[in-house]
Amino acid sequence: MTSPPGSRGSLCLDAVGLGSNNESGWLAKLQLGFVRSGGRTVLAERRREGPLAVQRPFYPEGDVCHVYLLHPPGGVVGGDRLNVEVSAGEGASALMTTPGATKFYRSAANPSYQTQDLSVADKASLEWFPQESILFPGALTHLRTRVNLAASARFAGWEILCLGRPVVGEIFSEGYLDQRFSLHRDGQPLALERLHICGAKHLSRATQLRGYCVSATMLVTPVAPGLLNVARAAVPAQQDHLIGITLIDELLIARYLGNGTEQAKARLSAVWSALRPAVFGRTAGLPRIWAT
Amino acid sequence: MAATPMDTTTTIDAQRARMRLLQLVSPSLPVGAFAYSQGIEWAVEAGWISGAGDLEDWLQGLLESSIGQWEVPMLARMYNACERGDGSALVKLSQRLLASRESRELRQEEIQRGRALATLLADLGVERAQQWRDILSSSQMAGFALATSRWRIPLAEAAEGYVWAWLENLVLAAVKIIPLGQTAGQRVLLHLSEGIPEAVCTALALADDDIGASSPALAIASSLHETQYTRLFRS
Repeated sequence: MTSPPGSRGSLCLDAVGLGSNNESGWLAKLQLGFVRSGGRTVLAERRREGPLAVQRPFYPEGDVCHVYLLHPPGGVVGGDRLNVEVSAGEGASALMTTPGATKFYRSAANPSYQTQDLSVADKASLEWFPQESILFPGALTHLRTRVNLAASARFAGWEILCLGRPVVGEIFSEGYLDQRFSLHRDGQPLALERLHICGAKHLSRATQLRGYCVSATMLVTPVAPGLLNVARAAVPAQQDHLIGITLIDELLIARYLGNGTEQAKARLSAVWSALRPAVFGRTAGLPRIWAT
Repeated sequence: MAATPMDTTTTIDAQRARMRLLQLVSPSLPVGAFAYSQGIEWAVEAGWISGAGDLEDWLQGLLESSIGQWEVPMLARMYNACERGDGSALVKLSQRLLASRESRELRQEEIQRGRALATLLADLGVERAQQWRDILSSSQMAGFALATSRWRIPLAEAAEGYVWAWLENLVLAAVKIIPLGQTAGQRVLLHLSEGIPEAVCTALALADDDIGASSPALAIASSLHETQYTRLFRS
């Protein structure tokens, strides 16, 4: 399901004077299947190839199966392809996160690809909270996440992008990002996002990143109309970053633009904490691993 | 060299098609386009847009990203679906377009303008407008695609007209909101419209896998516009 080296990527490669795409690097695949069994959710299917893995599932809050997804040691380099497929079967409840950021390193020529396909069956729920993707200057990165929901499935998840390394003052002055995130219900698209950033010029675009290096989007569905104000009240406006929340039919989208990945996680977590009891019928606990 | 009767007919048909396009992109087309600012009202309130220079940056950024990489390619695909008479393809394209609208207000705008245009096109007797009314009612772009296709307006001209109408509408909105002098507004139009033909040409050549462009800052502006205290515009 990886996207072929698109002409946009090629355009960017030309623009920065880089060469063709030789196939090299890791091919890593991970397929996970959660099913409801004996009153709780179990990780019934686990197939892996290459350096992607999960830790042993655990149950900090009863029936919900919590799983840490482990990305390749050290990060992602040019030529790597990571494919993750997660399915939550009927009635299953799973929460997935990662113990740390995923780093995409500078590449001389070969792009790296990460594709994530998440499917959630009827009466099932998936909470998908990977930590941020950090794009080192010069990284050539394709990120694609597709979420497929059945009619009565519930989903909450985010994608956090950090362009460059703000902690050491490095901006994403070269390389490119081609990011896609789509959410579908019963095969019909509910949200389609695509961010294409190629070099320093795009970083300052007034309608896109406005010079901020962290862009994060969280999607939650189904959300009742009365909860929009609850979500907004959880994140009063602050000066050094932007938060915008909208509710489109039953889909809530919260977006962050700023310069801190910790801040992005804290703000979006606050929104999710405010919504979780009403939307998923669970207390507002957050994965413990984020605190470490 | 004298024109043959055939050439004359062809020329007049092309000229009539151009008249239809002018009618379709006129701000007086009764679809209420003037009521929408697509986030500009909030961007002005926030101090992001305070003059002609900021406005140009805002619109130029959109021309290069969402307009050039998404709107025009989607219009082209809808136009081609209309040419083929393929209603189910038009439904799917309309769904994708709506799903790409990043806030409630932006989706509402697409639907409300679509509904008004669908009614108008049906009343004007545009072929298939009545039959496809439900599809057109979810997307103003679908109505524009059908009208330009039925009226034999070539795709590139239709796309240039579409982008022109978008640009003029937002400049008019900004002139009211900032506020900006009428001449300053016209200068922005004159300057930015220079880039439209090239943007359209590039956009029409994009492959399916290469289309799509989100605008995170605009999406946030539009989301925050929903709770802006004083609002004159519906988006």
